[in-house]
Amino acid sequence: MRFLALIFKNILRRKTRSAFTIFGISLGIATIIALGTVMNGMTTSMEGILKSGAADFSIAQSGIADLSFSKIDENRTSEIQEIDGVKKAVGVLIGIYPVGNNPYVMIWGVSVEDLQMLGASILNGSAFSGENELMLGEAISKELGKTVGDKLVLREEEFAIAGIFQTGAIYQDRGLAMSLDKLQELEKKEGYVTVIYVELDEGANLEIVCKQIEENFSDLVTIKSASELGKVDKGLEIMDAVSLAVSVLAVFIGGVGVTNTMMMSIFERTREIGILRAVGWKRRRVLIMILGESVLLCVFSVLVGSLLGVIGVKLLMLEPTIRGILEPLFTFETFIRAFIVAFAVGLVGGLYPAYRASKLSPSEALRYE
Amino acid sequence: MSEAKGMANVIIKTRNLVKTFEGGLIRALNGVNIEVSEGQFIAIMGPSGCGKSTLLYILGGLDSSTSGEVTVDDVALCTVRNLDDFRARKVGFVFQMHNLIPVLTARENVQIPMLETKFSKKERNDKSEKLLALVGLRERMNFVPTKLSGGERQRVAVARALANDPKILLADEPTGNLDSVSSHDIIRLFQGLNKDGRTIVLVTHDKEIAEHANIIYHMQDGKIIEQK
Repeated sequence: MRFLALIFKNILRRKTRSAFTIFGISLGIATIIALGTVMNGMTTSMEGILKSGAADFSIAQSGIADLSFSKIDENRTSEIQEIDGVKKAVGVLIGIYPVGNNPYVMIWGVSVEDLQMLGASILNGSAFSGENELMLGEAISKELGKTVGDKLVLREEEFAIAGIFQTGAIYQDRGLAMSLDKLQELEKKEGYVTVIYVELDEGANLEIVCKQIEENFSDLVTIKSASELGKVDKGLEIMDAVSLAVSVLAVFIGGVGVTNTMMMSIFERTREIGILRAVGWKRRRVLIMILGESVLLCVFSVLVGSLLGVIGVKLLMLEPTIRGILEPLFTFETFIRAFIVAFAVGLVGGLYPAYRASKLSPSEALRYE
Repeated sequence: MSEAKGMANVIIKTRNLVKTFEGGLIRALNGVNIEVSEGQFIAIMGPSGCGKSTLLYILGGLDSSTSGEVTVDDVALCTVRNLDDFRARKVGFVFQMHNLIPVLTARENVQIPMLETKFSKKERNDKSEKLLALVGLRERMNFVPTKLSGGERQRVAVARALANDPKILLADEPTGNLDSVSSHDIIRLFQGLNKDGRTIVLVTHDKEIAEHANIIYHMQDGKIIEQK
């Protein structure tokens, strides 16, 4: 028999208690996995909006809480085009409309000659050519069961579907594209855009160009990477903080559960620990045994919690409204983070019981009734 | 006890051993002097609370004395920094309650003390099998404690006490929870071990059990009052 086998067998002594402890911690782990996956998805989707297609970076109105509030004078596009290092600047208006069962479908208003800036490749049909034409993203086309030649009604106005496009970004593939002028008219935002996509000249320095834009236009802010999304989306930052708080709370509750389980276990096994000390076990070995049991419980919890987290997210995605605005992104890092958290919970939660067990005087432990 | 054994080296010696609890209010041992020669089988008898278990715990390095000296195998216990190592190698304990680990088989329970010493897995397996054969449980070595009788469990506990091949076996009321048949099995086992040269110190309040020993110490109020 090996020491590890003893640790493993010890947690099987009280199967029901161990199972409940594992379940308790695994709920915390599932929360971490689910929230992490949702946040990953949201961040990637937002990044998809702001670093679309050929764009090296994007520009939005500064000081806004959400990108949908961004309102930039369309003339800024040509001013930015003049800046050294800028190859092309394209203004895009983004509107949100209910389409089919999904109340939050993004509509991209863009000049037909600038479609390439969105990274859109046309799968079927052609680009919109008139004001009463639009294009469907590939995913929403499937969801609605509509294709080229069909009609779609938006705000009581009928549009012909000229083509089906794909960009690979969820908000675009589950959205629509139409001419900038038409969307400005629908949105009553004539002369304004939401975001300006910028493509740099070859060899141009991204940092320098962004700095120059922010210095010249105090009402604008540049977004170069996912880490800067908070500049235009406070909601994402708030959700990130809430996600962290919920995870910490879940982990804390799990940790208390581990401590409680291990304390009960050592009270029940006091005489047995006395025997182990009597046959020559060092305090250190008793400490490692109890810590090992605690960590092993948490490792099992990672397995169960990961499964619960994945199932939870999959169930969440069955809801069409959520599916329309969110594409969960399972990453290896999320699972590694959950494993590290569980390992830490096992160590911290088991530390006090293990210390107590290792400090037991063998003679007192043997006399324990 | 053969004459040759009687002439053997002293393996356990106490001098004026005192043990108090609760700041001196309770005097469990009050100047105990005993000598045990290598290969002897001695019994310590006395009523409950007379200090016999306390004496055994101090002899085995489970507890320390308040004053006085204990020498075991030429080592003064007060000078031993690592009593864990002393317990792992020099002495084996058998208690009234077997306290076997319920999720482990008899064989695995016997291997528990060997985890602290440097035996390979194969050595642990071979040794535990031999020890269980010695106590008559070879056929039941893969049984968990709940599948063994009370006497069998106590025999596993004896095998566990012998795991690291100690010179001295210390037994605290080992037959206290057993029926008379199982009790005699355990005593016969002790006699066999003693015959093979192992020193045995047995604490009991059962006169019939104690009479199997070579020397009987009677204790009362923390003192040895008689030696037979």
